[in-house]
Amino acid sequence: MSTEGVTITKSGEQGAFGGELLTVNFGPHHPSTHGVLRLIVDLDGEQVRRVKPVIGYLHTGIEKQMEALRWQQGVVVTDRHDYLSPPINNLAYALAVERLMGVDVPPRAQALRVIMSELTRLSSHLVWMGTSGLELGAMSMLMYCFRERDTILDMNEEISGFRMHTSYIRPGGVMADATPRFLEMLDAFIGAMPGHIDEYEDLLTMNPIWRSRTIGIGRLSPEDAKVLGASGPMIRGSGVPWDLRKAMPYSGYENYEFEVATSDDCDCYGRYLVRIKEMREAVKILRQALDRLPDGPVNVDDRKMLPPPREELETSMEAVIHHFKLFTEGYSVPPGDVYVAVESGRGENGCYVVSDGTHKPRRVKFRSASFVNLQALERMALNHMVADMVAIIGTADAVLGDVDR
Amino acid sequence: MGLEDLAESMGQNVLTTTLGKLVGWGRGNSVWPAQFGLACCAIEMIATATAGVDIARFGSEAMRASPRQSDLMIVSGRVSQKMAPVLRTVYDQMPEPKWVISMGACASTGGVFNNYALLQGVDKIVPVDVYIPGCPPRPEDLLNALMILQERIKAQGIMPRQ
Amino acid sequence: MSSRGPLLPAENLVVEQGVSAGDAWVTVDPANIKQALQSMKDDGYRLLVFLTCVDHLADASRTWPARYELVYQLRNLETKDLLRVRAFVDGDPPHIDSVHDLFPPANWDERETYDLFGVVFNDHPELTRILMPDDWVGHPLRRDYPVGGEVVEFSEEHQTWQTAPEDA
Repeated sequence: MSTEGVTITKSGEQGAFGGELLTVNFGPHHPSTHGVLRLIVDLDGEQVRRVKPVIGYLHTGIEKQMEALRWQQGVVVTDRHDYLSPPINNLAYALAVERLMGVDVPPRAQALRVIMSELTRLSSHLVWMGTSGLELGAMSMLMYCFRERDTILDMNEEISGFRMHTSYIRPGGVMADATPRFLEMLDAFIGAMPGHIDEYEDLLTMNPIWRSRTIGIGRLSPEDAKVLGASGPMIRGSGVPWDLRKAMPYSGYENYEFEVATSDDCDCYGRYLVRIKEMREAVKILRQALDRLPDGPVNVDDRKMLPPPREELETSMEAVIHHFKLFTEGYSVPPGDVYVAVESGRGENGCYVVSDGTHKPRRVKFRSASFVNLQALERMALNHMVADMVAIIGTADAVLGDVDR
Repeated sequence: MGLEDLAESMGQNVLTTTLGKLVGWGRGNSVWPAQFGLACCAIEMIATATAGVDIARFGSEAMRASPRQSDLMIVSGRVSQKMAPVLRTVYDQMPEPKWVISMGACASTGGVFNNYALLQGVDKIVPVDVYIPGCPPRPEDLLNALMILQERIKAQGIMPRQ
Repeated sequence: MSSRGPLLPAENLVVEQGVSAGDAWVTVDPANIKQALQSMKDDGYRLLVFLTCVDHLADASRTWPARYELVYQLRNLETKDLLRVRAFVDGDPPHIDSVHDLFPPANWDERETYDLFGVVFNDHPELTRILMPDDWVGHPLRRDYPVGGEVVEFSEEHQTWQTAPEDA
């Protein structure tokens, strides 16, 4: 299998210039494919006639792995499929397990979940903007975006101990309460972030090079987007105001005021504007969540699901038995199946959980936004130049860990 | 007049060393990594190249896209069964001398995932010089590994690797 | 999730229905799957959210009609309702009709289900492996396929204990 270089095949098709079509391999090892994506592209001169994505180079067997782990252990693995937004993956899994168990988390936990989700949405869009900018030539975008992302990762570390894969949101609540230092850092971040987003807009929105490389590139009409099942900025960049946080709210999102970012441009530039607007709305939601953060416990008070506090172990025999049972066998979820979808930076990320009543899941399926959005690539890239392929792959914002699971 | 007297008389303007040390110093301070970002560790690798934790200080800013122009392969991320022959091909395309850093738990030993789909450690197909634990390791961990590798390169001199 | 609306035109195709943890589901006969999904689509459920399979080998929670359960999750973009359609198939390999012409997102989902479970979709344009290497043998997500990987020392799977050689 060739990873780089050009394979000339006699496909027999005549191109517009009278020559034959050239098949080029955008191999899995490529600087601009946002991960290990392989594209087999048929070219007529410089124009793309056919695109065939080949995936599977990052297949990790996550769904099989989760069948071998207990319910509470599975949270660790959910972090790692869409690795740019780990808390949002945790949230989908946690909500699904809680629906099956029939528990509701307390309001403070819901607010903390919203805070972590929005911080992650910001971090994911910052990585997208940095790497897309880098690929299209705007190298300083990488430096600026990762500077802000580092602040968000510092906050992640403050609240959970991990920079990226936090495993913070778990079935039953969250891992631990927010420290006072976290709340201070969040306050300072919310104050500074709108200025940084203005900085990014100054650099890109009216930049003639950015505009000429993204306007008119990668058109996806609203009908095509709906038919192909696209979600997230892919469908909102085509003017369809579909956002799961508004359409089917979860975890208290109905209590926050924010707008759904859409753009009627239907091209890469429109999706860029959608993501910038989403970043601003995320800051708005963070401000509201921080101001209204309710007091109270952060975990559901169910000893069958979560371990008792350590002080109780000294006095109560029942607490010791619960602790033992939870850490050796783990809790069992009643039989049934449920599907919960949340809105990640890429679109609809969902978790379909099937339980057979034991302490390990029967089947966990992740509905991945990138898997479905990537199928739109074939439609979006037709008749564009090879150089535009890079812009189009970037705008699809596919995370290959999510695609391949 | 011996070489040492000559050097003394010229003061600070002449440096004497062995060829091995000179080559090692040159090689060590300009290690060009081949981008081999696979999964989550790749994001931390990109973060190592950014301004806060600058890898350019160590001479490794030029992350080459082509393996034929690079010395170091930083395997950052999990290596699946489908990717393993690709990785070996890219490693074979790198010219000697070449080194491999296995970044993260998945590349070193298979990490969190002990299943059919992943290679349990990239050292099953390529020889690894430095392993970095972590999931994902901090950018500073990658710099630490690079510094360890640089010490090793400088000590190696001009002898070919066994 | 709101409850299902008025009677679907496919009522005669529905074998069983119910609600699981707030999600509405219906079971249809696998031979009628295209007809059933077409009528759901005409009724407004125009988005296929995902398509997957569940393997009920050695599942003691209830009696299952067949080993493999194919799950189609549909969504109505206007009323925001969710509906899950289930079809139970058996066989080695199990067969069912492909719905890629009704719902384009099903194309890759069906390839993935074929790759990981071995379910063959009739009339699929290109039913090849998508996640595993092309020459892989076996279907990994079936319950009788082992998780694989390395045996971890001192774990439940590690049968042999390190002992000194007999002649020492």
